[in-house]
Amino acid sequence: MTATALLPLLALLTSLLAAVVIFVLPESSHRVRILVNLMAALLKLVIVALMTWGVFHGVDFSVSFTMLPGVSFMLRADALAMLFAGLSAVLWLFTTIYAIGYLEDSPNRSRFFGFFSLCVASTMGIALAGNMFTFFLFYEMLTLSTYPLVVHRGTEKALRAGRNYISYTLGGGVVLLLGIAWLHGLAGDLAFRETGHFQGADPALHGQLTLIFILLIAGLGVKAGMFPVHGWLPQAMVAPAPVSALLHAVAVVKAGAFGIVRVVYDVYGIDFAFMLGLLQPLAWLAAFTILYGSVRAMAQIDLKRRLAFSTISQVSYIILGVALFGPIGTVGGLVHLLHQGIMKITLFFCAGNYAETLGVHRVDELDGAGARMPATSTAFTLAALGMIGVPPLAGFVTKWMLGTGALATGVEWAVVVLLLSSLLNAAYFLPIVYRLWFCPVAAPWPGERRWGRLETSAWLFWPPLITTLMLVLVGLLAATAFSPLSWAQLIVVRMYLP
Amino acid sequence: MNGSPPLVLIAASILLPLLYPLLAARPGWHSISRGALPLLPLPALLLALLSTTPWTLELPWLLLGSTWMLDELRRSFLLLTALLWGTAGLYAVGYLGGKHLRRFGVFWGLSLAGNLGLVLAADIVSFYMFFALMTFAAYGLVVHVGGNHARFAGRVYIVMALLGEMAMLAGFLLAARDGGSLLLAELAAGIAASTNGWLMTTLFIIGFGVKAGLPLLHFWLPLAHPVAPTPASAVLSGAMVKAGLLGWLLTLPIGEVGWQSWGQGLILMGFAGSLGAAVFGVIQRDPKTVLAWSSISQMGLMAVLVGAALMAPGQVSALLPVIALFALHHGLAKGCLFLAVGLVIPAGRLLQSFLWVLLALPGLSLVGMPFTSGQLAKAAMKGALMVLPNVPLAGLLPLLLQAATLATVALVVRYGWLLWQQLERGTIPASRWLGWGLALFCSAVVFWSLPTVALVMSD
Repeated sequence: MTATALLPLLALLTSLLAAVVIFVLPESSHRVRILVNLMAALLKLVIVALMTWGVFHGVDFSVSFTMLPGVSFMLRADALAMLFAGLSAVLWLFTTIYAIGYLEDSPNRSRFFGFFSLCVASTMGIALAGNMFTFFLFYEMLTLSTYPLVVHRGTEKALRAGRNYISYTLGGGVVLLLGIAWLHGLAGDLAFRETGHFQGADPALHGQLTLIFILLIAGLGVKAGMFPVHGWLPQAMVAPAPVSALLHAVAVVKAGAFGIVRVVYDVYGIDFAFMLGLLQPLAWLAAFTILYGSVRAMAQIDLKRRLAFSTISQVSYIILGVALFGPIGTVGGLVHLLHQGIMKITLFFCAGNYAETLGVHRVDELDGAGARMPATSTAFTLAALGMIGVPPLAGFVTKWMLGTGALATGVEWAVVVLLLSSLLNAAYFLPIVYRLWFCPVAAPWPGERRWGRLETSAWLFWPPLITTLMLVLVGLLAATAFSPLSWAQLIVVRMYLP
Repeated sequence: MNGSPPLVLIAASILLPLLYPLLAARPGWHSISRGALPLLPLPALLLALLSTTPWTLELPWLLLGSTWMLDELRRSFLLLTALLWGTAGLYAVGYLGGKHLRRFGVFWGLSLAGNLGLVLAADIVSFYMFFALMTFAAYGLVVHVGGNHARFAGRVYIVMALLGEMAMLAGFLLAARDGGSLLLAELAAGIAASTNGWLMTTLFIIGFGVKAGLPLLHFWLPLAHPVAPTPASAVLSGAMVKAGLLGWLLTLPIGEVGWQSWGQGLILMGFAGSLGAAVFGVIQRDPKTVLAWSSISQMGLMAVLVGAALMAPGQVSALLPVIALFALHHGLAKGCLFLAVGLVIPAGRLLQSFLWVLLALPGLSLVGMPFTSGQLAKAAMKGALMVLPNVPLAGLLPLLLQAATLATVALVVRYGWLLWQQLERGTIPASRWLGWGLALFCSAVVFWSLPTVALVMSD
């Protein structure tokens, strides 16, 4: 087996093997588990970096086996795959570090980190999947491996949220499977291809293809948190903070959005999807979800719930970008896949820090937290401003590209949606920032813990600061060669100019 | 880059105030970080003084690819910004108590970095970034003292600022598409050529009008200025509102043919602001509120000049230096007037009389008394407006200008009266006297040696 076939498998296996090792480790082997976790995360980062470098230079990493006649298991690294793989490799490392600190001294860590690694392995599989079948395999594996994380605390509320989560996502999975099977019957085993497969398809098939498209998007839309199938997301935030961070920034919602990008571009082909008239309604739905999520977020008092509704809103930016039918809008959507991930993971890290350090879970308990936890609060402030779209932060680059893309294709109303969304983001984020820095502490913190020199445990302290640095740099240095923006442009160039 | 100042000086101009928060935020470093406040704009001041020829700097790696530059217009704004922030910073050393000093330092540094950066920015994204940095950071200065008044003022400030930002962003997005360029210098031509030109112009007039206190977009000004700490009020009124003016100059289709009616509209708005603000201003009881209304009034006159530039594409090269001069004059004089609010009456009659003469000086300058910066600015303004092409409005101009002078007199007298009533005896730290004195020196003496002034006087 050559190196180009080996690397995608290795990328997958690092977290898969880590999961197996962690499951068999006894609960008490604290240090060994930390070592395995961190080594696997670092190793994967190196592998993904190598592959990214290769893909940039045109190396084709792929491997495939025939599973059943006409159905193959296929991994392939194209530029789009590396965008998602890169996101998950980088953020996995920081989430692992964070989770080690967060779950210190809590029970069932072996189970937690085992499923955590499985979840990341699934994400990697989703990123590298080379056809719909492989994609679906890992997509469902993700559902199953995240469920134990959502219900990790085992409380009544967590179990209820878990039931809700599993019925939404499995339901979505069934719809997705239906679409994939139908598509398979119609066109056979379709490998993802940068220009899609149906350019010039028989007009007699258009009706069926439209229905299949609706099934696929509906199935994927559940994980992407699109209205009206977003209901699981705000409930799932009962999970521990690192899980929420992973769910909202990397794994679940991104898997849905990523799947939609794959279907629109690499299965149907953007021109064909546009010709079928499917992108316009998708854009409307995305726009509605953007505004709906923000409006709902404003009414939430629980910090993590507010962040959850914010996710619903922000992930639809990606879908809006894709549906704008133009290269610049697509760049905006794809770059947001990364940018939203970095910003949202920062916000959830911070929310977790407030909960673990001060015992604060509600927005109105945050008064004066800036003086007690200046580093965390600075991270929160910058990530929130980034979400609003203030330059030079990550969210601004997204908004600028989406806005430019919308105008370039004559979809002026999308700009109005983007501006409204910015205002709404400001309306639910800035009051928190105000409380952090400008309100005096109203009452003693509900459950304060102290950790010596830093404002919180070092495991919790550094991850949000590092991701904050990233969300500043990806915007400030957007024009440089390996920025997310440049990578998204590379993907789009390959999509539009095959 | 030819004959441009060293790169390290350009970098230091922005980075020193931008990174100052790292020093200011350190606990237990109060005295050092407070003492550093007046030093923050010094590299920028040096940069403005050394840049005798225009320069351009390409920063292709920054943001979406950035360009910074310093031409005659920007140089004048950079001088004003650096001088005012420097003197106000000196004043602030003796003004601030220990309470929330670190927080104040953080927002002061960030606002200053934004204010200086937006002057240097030559591309849309850099400009928008620095403008946003200044706007958001200045919120921290507005609400600094806390309490219900500051909180309400802050809310009005931030809501209006956000609306302004959105208008700006929409305008910039459209302009980037229709003009096909991210350079501010190519904006005007792009707007003139586009079918959406009217929309972009409206968006920019509104977007920057919030900062410049255009009537109906001015609500935040009389609320925010009085509640902010006095040195912050000085830079808000003297320098930061000027960023709105600079925004207009850089984004509106000035120098393009066919914008007469827009120019007329802006002139009318400007006069409405200039005269209307006096009506509201003279009934105020707080000298800082009076000054805030006076700023709206004076910014109205600057809007008139911008309108004139829109009306008369042929006169732009003569009008721009006049606008820069007016901004310089008003910024320095208004800075002195604000800083005076925090002074005290010394013992000794002679000293007192001397003080009152000095206190009156910037006020008289606003009115346009001979041998003041105001006289030069007003004469230049009058001269520039009188040569406007003959339009219906032209006949009214002399009358409106006289009314505006009357409005200024009324506001200055009201301010003087309130100051007379409210200044108390006592002692204050020397740096407050120094900061105010230096501001006065800049307004009354240094002003005459600044390059913009020489340019206008030679005409």
